[in-house]
Amino acid sequence: MRMESKQKKQNTTLQQRNYQQLQQKHEIKRPVLKNCIKAFFVGGLICFIGQAVSYFYIYFFNFTEQSVGNPTVATMVFFSMLLTGFGVYDRIGQFGGAGSAVPVTGFGNAVISAAIEHRTEGFVLGVGGNMFKLAGSVILFGVFSAFVVALVKTLLVIWGVL
Amino acid sequence: MRARYRLILFTCVFFLAACSHNQPAKDSQLALMKTTNPKPVVTDKSKNRNRIEEIKKEVSSFPQIYDVAVVKGKKDTLVAYKVKHLHRFSMKKIEKNLTKMLEEKYPKEKFTVSSDYKIFLETIRLDERMKSPKFSHREAEKRFKEIVKMTEATK
Repeated sequence: MRMESKQKKQNTTLQQRNYQQLQQKHEIKRPVLKNCIKAFFVGGLICFIGQAVSYFYIYFFNFTEQSVGNPTVATMVFFSMLLTGFGVYDRIGQFGGAGSAVPVTGFGNAVISAAIEHRTEGFVLGVGGNMFKLAGSVILFGVFSAFVVALVKTLLVIWGVL
Repeated sequence: MRARYRLILFTCVFFLAACSHNQPAKDSQLALMKTTNPKPVVTDKSKNRNRIEEIKKEVSSFPQIYDVAVVKGKKDTLVAYKVKHLHRFSMKKIEKNLTKMLEEKYPKEKFTVSSDYKIFLETIRLDERMKSPKFSHREAEKRFKEIVKMTEATK
């Protein structure tokens, strides 16, 4: 692969190389640090809302700190699905980048955006068939890794390590 | 457009802020967020209060713990506490050490220990309810047992 790229570089004419240099000079650099800061704050804000939701469930319902995770995740996914439907989450995503994609709200966004995209193809083959096109891999990876971790923990408990 | 946003903001602030004016805030309202440091609670009047004060002092001496609530029932003693943020990775270890210390120092007592926020909140709510003359000791003991049962479910 490396040889191939080297060969490709050799095959380019002087004019092409000059153009590439000129392009590199004028290319707008990616604002990596700015993006990181934006992602940090947007992700932090989503987590802050999540914490507030979990406190709400602890305070007003009979959930303990351990059991509050499930309704909180469900609520956050539901909120992100609604916001995706209204077209608000896309804007948040454009601004926050990974900060909006990494939390669980990004999962809801991935499911609904795929469903909206394919709704013209019908409810079964369009929405049903493509809804989990993006999020399916996340579910599969999550379920499989949970299985592996549970297996390791079970073995450690049987052997008396834990 | 700007005027509309201002109107919405003003309405929100008006409705959210105006209602809480001149009402003394209960400890349980902010128990999840701030240090409340409640007084030890005894559901059974006949029990000795000095020992429970001593238990609270002992638990508070742990450097990883910052807020302790102790409730003494007829048989059980419930110790609910909050762990400092940076020490939350070693919650199990802290709980183990705390239980061990309590059982060694007070072998006759039966302890239920929990770092769950819900349990802490419920102990403070119990304390507040006990201040009301309508809330009898029997009811307090019943609620205490429910909290202990809830603690067992979290383990």
